[in-house]
Amino acid sequence: MGAFIKKDLLVFWRDRKEILMALLLPILIIVILNFAFSGLFKDEKAMQIDISVVQEDDVKKGMEQFAAAVEAKGLSSEEKSAVLAEADKLDPVQLIHDFLNSSDLKEWVTVKDFSEKEAAEQVKNGELDAIIKIPEGFTFESLSHVLLGETSQGSVTILAEEESAGVSTLQEVVHSFINTVNTQFALGSKGVQATAEPILPKGGKEVVEGNDGADAYTISQYFTIAIGTLFALFMAQTVSLKTMTEKREQVFNRILLTNSHPLSFLIGKTVSAFILSILQFAITLTVVQLLLNVFPDKSFTFWAGLMVVLIAFALTVGGLSALFTALTLHLSDTNAASGISTLVIMGFGVLGGSFFPLEGLPEPIQKIGEWTPNGLTQTALIEWVQYSHFNDLLFPISFLMGVFIICFAISVSIFPKRGRS
Amino acid sequence: MLETVKLTKSFKDKKVVDEINLYLQTGESVGLLGPNGAGKSTTISMIASLIKPTSGDVKLNGKSTIQNPSDLRKMLGVVPQEIALYEELSAYENLKFFGKAYRVEKETLEVRIQEVLDMVGLKDRQKELIKTFSGGMKRRINIAAALLHNPKILILDEPTVGIDPQSRNHILETVRELNQTQGTTVLYTSHYMEEVEQLCNRVYIMDHGKIIATGSKEELLSILSSEDTIGVQLSKRSEAFTDKIKTLPDVLQVEQTSEGLRIMAKKNHHLLSSLVHAAEKEGIQIMNYKVEIPSLEDVFLHLTGKTLRD
Ligand SMILES: Nc1ncnc2c1ncn2[C@@H]1O[C@H](COP(=O)(O)OP(=O)(O)OP(=O)(O)O)[C@@H](O)[C@H]1O
Ligand SMILES: [Mg+2]
Repeated sequence: MGAFIKKDLLVFWRDRKEILMALLLPILIIVILNFAFSGLFKDEKAMQIDISVVQEDDVKKGMEQFAAAVEAKGLSSEEKSAVLAEADKLDPVQLIHDFLNSSDLKEWVTVKDFSEKEAAEQVKNGELDAIIKIPEGFTFESLSHVLLGETSQGSVTILAEEESAGVSTLQEVVHSFINTVNTQFALGSKGVQATAEPILPKGGKEVVEGNDGADAYTISQYFTIAIGTLFALFMAQTVSLKTMTEKREQVFNRILLTNSHPLSFLIGKTVSAFILSILQFAITLTVVQLLLNVFPDKSFTFWAGLMVVLIAFALTVGGLSALFTALTLHLSDTNAASGISTLVIMGFGVLGGSFFPLEGLPEPIQKIGEWTPNGLTQTALIEWVQYSHFNDLLFPISFLMGVFIICFAISVSIFPKRGRS
Repeated sequence: MLETVKLTKSFKDKKVVDEINLYLQTGESVGLLGPNGAGKSTTISMIASLIKPTSGDVKLNGKSTIQNPSDLRKMLGVVPQEIALYEELSAYENLKFFGKAYRVEKETLEVRIQEVLDMVGLKDRQKELIKTFSGGMKRRINIAAALLHNPKILILDEPTVGIDPQSRNHILETVRELNQTQGTTVLYTSHYMEEVEQLCNRVYIMDHGKIIATGSKEELLSILSSEDTIGVQLSKRSEAFTDKIKTLPDVLQVEQTSEGLRIMAKKNHHLLSSLVHAAEKEGIQIMNYKVEIPSLEDVFLHLTGKTLRD
């Protein structure tokens, strides 16, 4: 058995072209895609905006007004003091200021101090991109809205001379922040501890939005995972294609004559495909990580989890390789066999979302895609990037192992006892 | 020890091998001759358990091998018509792989690899990749790979096709050596008559899937009609003498050659004395007189009306 594994690996190793194809191509593609897409989304200059905050609201007056309103509500004294204590901790205007100066926004938003008149001037001559105006009565209205459930009219407005990507993003970000604050306090007043944070574009890159406050994943991470998975999948075919040569050149007949167990031959292919696809994926990940820092600040646990999924996936690749091998030997027409394996691989590639994201496609197709080994691996890895819940990996890992076992069992059962029939 | 019984193979409706009976006795060297497409490789593949016969049987020591060929495979060394080696591996790596596949003991294997390399004369090139070898060298390694497990029976399918004379001689020598000193039973397929004549005690001639003649070389040659071809070397050239010979009884045809004459005649013990007599009369000396030996090639021509290689 060892001889078979060694032989297959050695044959592959001697074939420089295939080594290069398998190892460099995915890296190349990821790097190219990364640059192509960062050109679209990562326009640092366009996303650098300068703003000034103009505050028309008088916070102290707003607080007094709110206290008067609470008084007028006719609440019990306990409730009154609770609401007022809550209001004391809450300064909506200060929250806005803190938010705009937070580290998340600092990367692309610069807040400059100007008086209202000056600021308007600066916006006109283009020195400032926008003014954030906190209207009169903002403190009072916000507090009434959050703590007393009143409808509010006054909201923060963003004034800009011309609409730019940066300004509209800022608009969205500020609104989502205010909404979050609102919900947070609404929840908070019910005694629920909520730590939701607004979703922000990191470093100005395009972000595929994660739900439920998960870590977002970047488009580069998507490429790396999708392309890495796809090329690892290709390995199943690369290894089994060698079988065609073995059959054509009668090497396989010679092997049959040695009375070697079919398993030796199949395990040789499986192990080769397993090792090669892991190697392939690992090298791709390492190089891409070193070149582009696709997964910044990830922990050891993250990488370990990634490796576990890769190992399970590589096992499936090994199983597929055994299946294609047995098919090549089983069918008298080797071209038909390679046609079938190409079809399977490409089908998996498309359905599994390795070529393009499936998000736009109809629900059923997306569902099917999740049942392909590569699609499942991809989803599992992307969820791993977002949530890092080890439990989420258990199902994909068992599923991938199941696919391996089924593929391998079929391979053994169709493995021919003789050369041609 | 090994025999086929009415061995038949059809592809679709085409009978490629038709009820072939042949046998190999221990220590024999047997030739299987036939033109392209005669069905030699198909027959050999069936004997070697690589193709399932449509009907008929292959028996080893009287026992059918069709259901369970593993005993047969153990004693069999098969040299396929094509080069069945990994091009990307070196000669040594190929032999090591096939040796291990044959489950040759680890310690024995190293020694054995060097032995077979020595036999085919490529010991000093063993580290080189097969794809860098010449056709002849590939064929020699192709043979070496079939010898690793010391097979009792060696089947070779046209092992000398399209190679240089040096490699060819080496291969013929190797096979002869195996047969004569190690007692390996040999089944040798070829469409080169002279190889089979050199190597084999017994010959089967095959055409269109059937065995059309069999026997020792002498037996086969006796199939030829009772004609002799005689080459005569003369001291000088003479038209009169040539004409005279043509009139001798039993002489069928006379041709002038650069050295003298080639005479085709019915077997006749008195021909030589008649010749000498005529020559004396013309004042010519007969320098040499030789009855040319017919070859299997001639037998084949006689049987099928075509040459082995067209
Ligand atoms: N798998 C196959 N399917 C259909 N026909 C086949 C197959 N294998 C061989 N044949 C046919 O069987 C005939 C005999 O082939 P075979 O290879 O046995 O001849 P051969 O005597 O070895 O010829 P050569 O000297 O060229 O090697 C040929 O006509 C060939 O076309
Ligand atoms: Mg042949």
